[in-house]
Amino acid sequence: MTDFLTAKKLSTRVFACLVVLIIIICICTLIGTQKISLMKVIEGPGQIPGDNIDYEIFIGYRMPRVLLAALVGAALACSGVVLQAILRNPLADPYILGISSGAGLGAIIAIISGITWNLWAGSPLAIFAFAGSLITVWLVWSIGRFAGGSQVTSLLLAGVVVNAFLSAVIMFLTSIAKSEQLRSIIYWLMGNITDKSPPVLLAGAVCILAGIICLFIISNRLNIIALGEYEAKGLGVDTEKTKILAFTFAAFITAIAVSLSGLIGFVGLIVPHAVRLIFGPDHRQLLPLSAIVGAIFLVIADTLARTIFGLEQLPVGVITAIAGGPFFLVLLAKYTKKVSWLK
Amino acid sequence: MNNIIEVKNLNFDYTNKTILEDLSFEVNQATFVGIIGPNGAGKTTLLNLLCGFLKPKSGTIKLDSEDIKSFTVKEIAQKIAVVRQEFVPVFDFTVAQTVSMARTPYLGTFGFMGKTDRQIVNDALEATDTSQFATRALGSLSGGERQRVFIARALAQKTPLLLLDEPTSFLDLKHQVNTYDLLKAAQLEQDKTIIAVTHDINLAAQYCDVILLLGSDSKYRYGCTRDVLSTEQITKVFGVKIYCGKVDQEHFFIPLGKLAKDREKANKIQ
Repeated sequence: MTDFLTAKKLSTRVFACLVVLIIIICICTLIGTQKISLMKVIEGPGQIPGDNIDYEIFIGYRMPRVLLAALVGAALACSGVVLQAILRNPLADPYILGISSGAGLGAIIAIISGITWNLWAGSPLAIFAFAGSLITVWLVWSIGRFAGGSQVTSLLLAGVVVNAFLSAVIMFLTSIAKSEQLRSIIYWLMGNITDKSPPVLLAGAVCILAGIICLFIISNRLNIIALGEYEAKGLGVDTEKTKILAFTFAAFITAIAVSLSGLIGFVGLIVPHAVRLIFGPDHRQLLPLSAIVGAIFLVIADTLARTIFGLEQLPVGVITAIAGGPFFLVLLAKYTKKVSWLK
Repeated sequence: MNNIIEVKNLNFDYTNKTILEDLSFEVNQATFVGIIGPNGAGKTTLLNLLCGFLKPKSGTIKLDSEDIKSFTVKEIAQKIAVVRQEFVPVFDFTVAQTVSMARTPYLGTFGFMGKTDRQIVNDALEATDTSQFATRALGSLSGGERQRVFIARALAQKTPLLLLDEPTSFLDLKHQVNTYDLLKAAQLEQDKTIIAVTHDINLAAQYCDVILLLGSDSKYRYGCTRDVLSTEQITKVFGVKIYCGKVDQEHFFIPLGKLAKDREKANKIQ
């Protein structure tokens, strides 16, 4: 009998990966420029607040940041999986439909205009980036629809064109920006995880996790849609509805991730491929495992970014690209031999 | 006998080319129908109309005596399985995974299969001679092997109606005959209705009960195989000379080109 994916197998694998994620989160929270000991952290906060400095650093500073990295990694990886499936294009990533340039434009406008008001504890930067990405996705979707109905090629082309246009606007704005604003612009464009207040983190976590769960619910339909439009209809899948749901949720979690951390490249492209190479293309498994692996990848990358040069922090996007590329090539060389054609 | 499909006054056109004009026919349950015609006569279009992917310009298509428009995609998927022409997979789904997708219309949100579903999938793999590469990636198979996988998937969908678009175009002789035997057996033993578009007139003449011959001028002929597949009809519709022969019960047709070895004889025929 051939091996089929069952609910039990799936939950065991997801659970095992979750355990690995939790262990890595704990280890990475202990690592940092300021040394802290696990024993002292376990002792708890102590009588007076601020008594146990190790605990304060662990819970107050590092944990939120590590959790943020995990959330952003999970969101980007999931979104990558979904867009590759519905666009039937292995080169698709979360930014392909113009989210990156839309969010970038929003962020730069916020930085240049120097607005300082806060909304529900969110910074203007995050809110502008979020609005920018959603508006752009809507624009790309409408142009794609107008140009070619439900065909994915026109959607891809619309995304490429809008991205190119907005990138030009971004370059123009960067060139006229004041020099003290340039650093924040560049760090944002390269992807940068910084400390966020607990309410922002919590709101982000709820939105991203809800989005991932919704995508997981349609994961089996994504399998079938990846075969093609007609094939999917022939197997009883409402392709229109599924595509709209998938695009909406993927765009939503990407927009949230981007507004929290800037444009972190590579995670959304590489993680889905890496997981697919090892575990196969079944989206019911690919989606949750990519979320977890994306989280692990970004937590480790961010730990490197904040420790490698001591107190001088690197944008995490630099690490994901430098470390992710070679790592992926190794995987590709190793598994393509094992898995498919050359058997 | 019940009509599983009724087509009445069907019209269809792409922007300014009429493809199907005033087409009407009925298909009884448990018949084997061959759709034959030159390129561009609308064979694949008709197949897409029959499974509800395309909407007719006018006219009606009834499935089990009900208008096809009244069914949801999922309901149609439980009644009609479709095997399409060659397609290129994007991701490396294995053969077993591809065939198990056939069970989707019967399963819940996540599509986890029960014991019977697994049995059905394995039976379909056995029947199409594909179980030996069940764990291989679809992309690593040859065109013919892949075609058999899609026939396996159609069988695993367990529908009363099978629509096939040139199911044997990539197959070698043995698998051509095996595939038609398999379809014929499904017709005779399980009362399935089979509608196959094909360019292989000889296989159609051997296996099909009824033939729909579509001409490129939107004229059509529909009737029992022996009546429709005559030398005159084929010559007229395809515009080539035909050498017709008979061995025992089976008629066969050989097209004769202007420069064929036997061209003088061919010229004499007409």
